[in-house]
Amino acid sequence: MNRASSGVILVLLAGMGIGATYLAHHTSAPRIAAEQRLIDSRNLLDLLPAQSYDNQPLEQPLAVTNIPLANSTLLGGYMATRAGQPSAVLLRSQTLGYEGKIELMIAIDANGKLLGVKTLKQSETPGLGGKIADWPNAWLQVFIGKSRHDPGDTGWALKKDQGQFDQVAGATITSRAVISAIHDALRYFDEHRQPLIGSSAHD
Amino acid sequence: MTKSSTLQNSLMLAPLIGATTSWAAALGLWLMFIVVISAYGVGMWALRSRLVPTARLLASILLAATLTSCVQMAAQAWSLQWHQPVALYAGLIALQCVVLEYNGFFQSPRLDRVRLCAAFGALMLGLGLLRELLGKSGLHLATLVPGGFILLGLLIATRQAWARSKPSH
Repeated sequence: MNRASSGVILVLLAGMGIGATYLAHHTSAPRIAAEQRLIDSRNLLDLLPAQSYDNQPLEQPLAVTNIPLANSTLLGGYMATRAGQPSAVLLRSQTLGYEGKIELMIAIDANGKLLGVKTLKQSETPGLGGKIADWPNAWLQVFIGKSRHDPGDTGWALKKDQGQFDQVAGATITSRAVISAIHDALRYFDEHRQPLIGSSAHD
Repeated sequence: MTKSSTLQNSLMLAPLIGATTSWAAALGLWLMFIVVISAYGVGMWALRSRLVPTARLLASILLAATLTSCVQMAAQAWSLQWHQPVALYAGLIALQCVVLEYNGFFQSPRLDRVRLCAAFGALMLGLGLLRELLGKSGLHLATLVPGGFILLGLLIATRQAWARSKPSH
């Protein structure tokens, strides 16, 4: 037991430590990355019914980037297909809420009907507007099955604004922003059905 | 309570509150703690007599850091979803090892060591289970950090009341 042997042991220990950490990182990194991708895509896509698509929508982006709409901006879009046929379009929409930007994922089926809406990012007041981030979300489920013309333009608003939808309690501005963004996305899809999914309306 | 045991206990407080929002997270962190502390104990047992006291601290830090990072990466590769809520607190295990080393933990009888680890695990799991159940039954506060502190306080108070009433029997 002397200083020199202690030093040698320390150097060996450091070398082994670095080696073991590097090896662990090297062997686990691909798996961790793959699992991270799976978690990400599950988080982004769980608003689509699992049997409604059989492709990897996130690897099939649409030519939609930063398109300004009336009340929101479309950041991007993805295509979900089933047996080679377009089954749904996912639009990533950004709008301005009460506190800041709100990012939504809006899924629309090939007939222009809303399949689901999910909040991806928000900074609204916790307990009030922040409730839009809850998942599953009873308030956002109300919009499922609606389309651009059902209800009509005046119906696509809060009851407070003579529309037909309830608001999130205590969060008028947040609710208004979300409704407008959903309506914007449905309108965009309706007007660009041909370039987006290559077919005209079924009904 | 000695000064070093206060330090050890306050270090345990961060994972005890932070990683017990669900019983699965608590179990995950505790398992990682047990694996690291056992491997560390074996490693230091082999090294301790071969090192001068000044080199011991460095060796202890190196070993604790290596083991913690390797276990963390293994846990991530095994189940990332399970690891994510405890990732922040898993790093503290390394610090815990070094503190336990200087606390004489590894020189204490084996039974005492097992008892301390088991008590830590029971407390983590109990708190995790309690917070998850309360959170699911509508008491959202229980899942937040202040709720964790309140519950821990209540548990300690219960234990002390129990301990105080015991001698009179």
